[in-house]
Amino acid sequence: MQNDSEKLERLIDRTLRAQPPLRAPRGLETRVLNELARRAALPWWRKSFAHWPLAARALFVLASGVFIKLALTGVTWMSDAAAAPVASVQNKARIASSLVEVGAAVVHAIPPQWLYFGVAFGAAMYALLFGLGATAYRTLYK
Amino acid sequence: MQTPPTQLAHEADFTRFMRAYQDMVYSTAARLTGNPVQAEDIAQHVFLKAYENFDNLRGPEAGGWLKTVVRRTALNHLERYRKRWKFFSELRHEDAADDAPDFEIETPDTLLADLDTEESRARVERALQDLPDNYRVPLVLYHFEELSYEEIAAQLGASLSKVKTDIFRGRAAMAKNLT
Repeated sequence: MQNDSEKLERLIDRTLRAQPPLRAPRGLETRVLNELARRAALPWWRKSFAHWPLAARALFVLASGVFIKLALTGVTWMSDAAAAPVASVQNKARIASSLVEVGAAVVHAIPPQWLYFGVAFGAAMYALLFGLGATAYRTLYK
Repeated sequence: MQTPPTQLAHEADFTRFMRAYQDMVYSTAARLTGNPVQAEDIAQHVFLKAYENFDNLRGPEAGGWLKTVVRRTALNHLERYRKRWKFFSELRHEDAADDAPDFEIETPDTLLADLDTEESRARVERALQDLPDNYRVPLVLYHFEELSYEEIAAQLGASLSKVKTDIFRGRAAMAKNLT
């Protein structure tokens, strides 16, 4: 089995290595040269950054620096402007937490049987309305 | 506008360079992809890349550079198909043994009587092209590109046992086609 495998490897290896390279299509050279000519004819701003004139590259770096500076200033200004609403949100959160505490005290004051009855009543009404809705749909849209 | 003489010399050098290597670049791409049209696109891409680096490619290392770039480009090209191939191939070979595949084949003593005829060469290329991607790609990397099993497994992101099994099955399929 191992010998067979090695024999097959040698056989295929000999066969494949005897193959000369395939001949490239005649048009390949022309295609490449045409594409190079097309790229050379492009204006500088449509070429990669490395091919830009030195002055244009320097200007671009300078403009990028100015843009970054402006962006940072904008972020600082926006965070300052957002500080006031944050304080207002904190006040609202305090009010909401007080309301929740009041609600919890009320719930604790209600006897548990009433609460169970309320939950059961709500579930029964939900089931009833769901059943009515399903029946109406089946009857009217069938 | 006239092209400067240095630019003309540069282009003439590059044309000579391309003529020297285009068969090698095209062959590698065609054998890896199994598709002449895709191979031509890949060869064009590789030579455009070579033009950008031409100043560093005038020594004897140019051939190696081109081989590496064309191999990488062709494998990237096959990437989206490779994922699918890996999936199905892994399913088939899930329990493949580490070294040898678990089936037997009858190895013939010879494949083609005369390997030097145009017809024999065309038959071998056709047999190679007819192999499914998961057999042909590792087979080409092993026998033409002279990569080791480990290097092939690393390049294809597949397990060593799967690469060995696929290569073995590829050889068996080729032998069957050529006998």
